[in-house]
Amino acid sequence: MVLEQIADKVFDTDVLIIGGGIAGCTSAAKASEQGLKVLLAEKAKTDRSGSAGQGIDHYGIFPREGVTPLDLVKHWQHSLRVVNGEGRWADPNIMFRYYDNAFWTLEELEKLGIPMRWDDGEFYWMPHRGPGMDPRISLKLGLRVHWQNIKPLLAKAMRKKSVHTLERTMIVDLLTNKGRVVGATAVDTRTGEFIVIKAKAVVIATGLFARCYDPETPHFWKYKFRYHWCPATISGDGWAIAYRAGAELASMDITGWGFRIRDDLNISFGNFPINDGVPSRPLDWTGEEVSYGTWQSASGYNKLHQDARTPIYHSLEHLPDDFHKRMEVAFADERMVSFKIAENRGFNPRTHWYELMLNKPHNFVNVAGVYADEDLKATLPGLYAVGDCVAGLHSCGEAAFTGFFTGKSLPAFISSAAEPVVDKAQVESQKQAALAPLNIKDGTEPMELESAIRYICDRYVSQFKSEGKLREGLRRLDSLRRVFLPKLMAKNPHYLMRCLEVRNIMDLTELHIQACLQRRETRGAHIRLDFPQQDRTWDNMLTYQRLESGRPILEMREPPDLKPEYARGGK
Amino acid sequence: MPAKIDYKKCIGCGRCYDLCPIDVFAWDEDKDMPVVAYEEECWHCGICWMECPKRAIDITYPASFW
Repeated sequence: MVLEQIADKVFDTDVLIIGGGIAGCTSAAKASEQGLKVLLAEKAKTDRSGSAGQGIDHYGIFPREGVTPLDLVKHWQHSLRVVNGEGRWADPNIMFRYYDNAFWTLEELEKLGIPMRWDDGEFYWMPHRGPGMDPRISLKLGLRVHWQNIKPLLAKAMRKKSVHTLERTMIVDLLTNKGRVVGATAVDTRTGEFIVIKAKAVVIATGLFARCYDPETPHFWKYKFRYHWCPATISGDGWAIAYRAGAELASMDITGWGFRIRDDLNISFGNFPINDGVPSRPLDWTGEEVSYGTWQSASGYNKLHQDARTPIYHSLEHLPDDFHKRMEVAFADERMVSFKIAENRGFNPRTHWYELMLNKPHNFVNVAGVYADEDLKATLPGLYAVGDCVAGLHSCGEAAFTGFFTGKSLPAFISSAAEPVVDKAQVESQKQAALAPLNIKDGTEPMELESAIRYICDRYVSQFKSEGKLREGLRRLDSLRRVFLPKLMAKNPHYLMRCLEVRNIMDLTELHIQACLQRRETRGAHIRLDFPQQDRTWDNMLTYQRLESGRPILEMREPPDLKPEYARGGK
Repeated sequence: MPAKIDYKKCIGCGRCYDLCPIDVFAWDEDKDMPVVAYEEECWHCGICWMECPKRAIDITYPASFW
């Protein structure tokens, strides 16, 4: 049987890019510019997909005058330690390359036609500070940008460079042969067509993972997708397919601890005064100031709660009119809909207080992700990871840099890569597993299963962990897998996409709980009630997980340290 | 109710159906108009509301936002 008989469509390309966010579009544009045949598969529509779909108001990290990339690497490691406790936490070599190439990335974006300058034609630099740091000692500069249309512009630029895009196309799994990646299978989420893509190299650019936890600001009743980041992005598709194909994931025990705002205007916390160098001023309900950081830790918040000082608020009313005008511009640049929410609720951001909630783990915006070396190569030959997918990287600046950088280095790999040979039996089995929910009647809806997974994470993992709870969580997850996964039903190709997402969420949740069990210590925000002390033998050690001949391997080891040539400074 | 289409204003250009990152809209072939098909999946990002050339889409927020 030939491939065309198994699949509705077969494509053959040099590079397959999975995900059309900032990292996906920039790597596609760069690879295509150098003469490679590039196909980009996007689950939504590239013009408004990914974390930047609604726009972006600030971008990047640049060294201030007199500051070296090495200083910034140290600063970055410091910020990771503020949240996670002692340790190296991620590969500093990637960060070094990012900081060292910050201005190259800026130029590349300008070449693609992305506006980098402010209204007056100049760059608008703003001081940037890390959590808990005094703004006066900030080493880095960010760039304020008008990027409401960053995604339509990137999509246009990419198409102009003749990248072939397959939209509304969800990847099912990677195809492998003799230990290397040779392509992927996919479904069209509107027509249900089954697609095979043969590729010499595959770049994973699907963004973050978060959907095993409830949203930052949970909304009850039926809107289960009300996340801060685009829910289509954060199902962890790229992480799960990489893992199932044999690539390694790192630090799945370490969750992110972002903001949780009860009075959510859909705008990111980054737009709050903190990024403009204005000291943030959390207050208790009587208006008395709460010292910065107190409310952010579970113990600090609990203390405030016991002292009857909660709720905690952010008040911006003391700030000058000029600041509020800048905030409004940020709203328009990043999340226009903020105005609509404020209007709906009669909430005046100038005078009303924003209620802050207790920080709980609710995503993996920290150091977890697909393990990649400083060339952005994952552990499986032919597989690359870019942007938020990469363990240790999380922001639009890193997305653009890793995208351009990978796009630039792909021709060298492709020129020596063998023709991809696809195993038809593998395609056949992926097809059967992927399309099965279309034939199930009276089964389980994907959201029913997803909610059950989120409930397990909330109840048995979340912020205060212990062996008994984690094991109970695993046991329950396993029964969900046995009882409900085979019964998943999809009334149409749209719901088939959701079924495929749930399968990915379930696989990653299992890895998350296994990794949490392995880290038998309390360090930073990882709290084990049964191991309340930091264990020094775990200094610098991270969890790495992969499949070897179908068997899960969980390994502890140190991430690489900064190379001596980088430790000397940079450009 | 999240995204809501005002059919008196909608011209059936298909931008909302084309751009929604969650695929909340489907296409009604008989009427040749978009319809909100997966209302419960709307994440209230406002992309349809922003992009609609006729301002035919309104978004209202659920009670738990209050």
